[in-house]
Amino acid sequence: MTSVTDLLFPVHKSRDELKQHIIWKNQEYVTNLPLQMLLYFNCFYFPFWFIGSLVILDLKWERLIDLYRIVLVAIYVVYFIIEVVRLYLGYLGNLMERVPELAGSWLLTLLLTFPLILLLNINDNALLLPLERALHILMAIFVGLEVIVGYFAIRAMVNYQVTKYHLQQFSDLDNMEDNEYFPETRYTS
Amino acid sequence: MQATGLIPARFLTIIAHLVLVIVILWTRDENIKMSLAEEYSQSEFDQKNTEFIVALSITLGLFAVELIGFVGGVTMFMSFQGLLSTAAHSAAAIALSYFLFDQWPCEWYWYIFGFCSALPAITEAVYIIGILCFRKGF
Repeated sequence: MTSVTDLLFPVHKSRDELKQHIIWKNQEYVTNLPLQMLLYFNCFYFPFWFIGSLVILDLKWERLIDLYRIVLVAIYVVYFIIEVVRLYLGYLGNLMERVPELAGSWLLTLLLTFPLILLLNINDNALLLPLERALHILMAIFVGLEVIVGYFAIRAMVNYQVTKYHLQQFSDLDNMEDNEYFPETRYTS
Repeated sequence: MQATGLIPARFLTIIAHLVLVIVILWTRDENIKMSLAEEYSQSEFDQKNTEFIVALSITLGLFAVELIGFVGGVTMFMSFQGLLSTAAHSAAAIALSYFLFDQWPCEWYWYIFGFCSALPAITEAVYIIGILCFRKGF
């Protein structure tokens, strides 16, 4: 699993000890503010988006062909579940600075929510009404920005925790009494 | 200044107003027809159409000003601006809902624009200039 994480979020190997020391001294936290704001406002926007989408679906139900009735119902059900999980994991991961939760939230956003919201936006065969277009465009802006900002947030967090782990190895060398003692870090794999 | 419920309220009312403006931008025809006589020429329709599009585009521009001030953090924690913005945008959302459903003539939009879009945007711009240029507030 570390190999996949290293592939997606590579650590800069060229940092030298002095820079690591500066990073260690100056940074107290790696919680990303723009990502937190996006998640916060997304939490508030989501119920209204969902209710609006369901109302529109009810209005156009008669005129939809069978395929799009099934597809749209499936999309909304899946989106509801995924969104709740994603927002909760994102909140937890960003505020508690935990990489696994934040990476999980980012992957859910990139791989599931992003294609679904694009499909809702672009597919004209499902009789897109103006209100639906407005709501979905806003949601797509939220999701797109979360994908971009989330990537940088995770990269900064991974860098910080890797350097912290390396420095902890050096600073705890004096405190180690036997071979079974390992410093506990949050960067678990 | 503690984080109260004013911030999400302000955000949601701005978004509601924005969504309604986008919907009206897309479905202008009925409102323009309501403001013309029974028989109208195409040139009259086009003139009103252009005027209406200009009004809606200015509204979107003022939205950009207000959103930059709010999301950029400049006026996010100022309670007076937040209260004014919330009140103006919620009034606009209600009025625009009536505008859509009752098909008001498109001239009446200018009143909604004046009280509910221009007013918060102007106070927002005043605050932004005050903070950035004259270092008021901090």
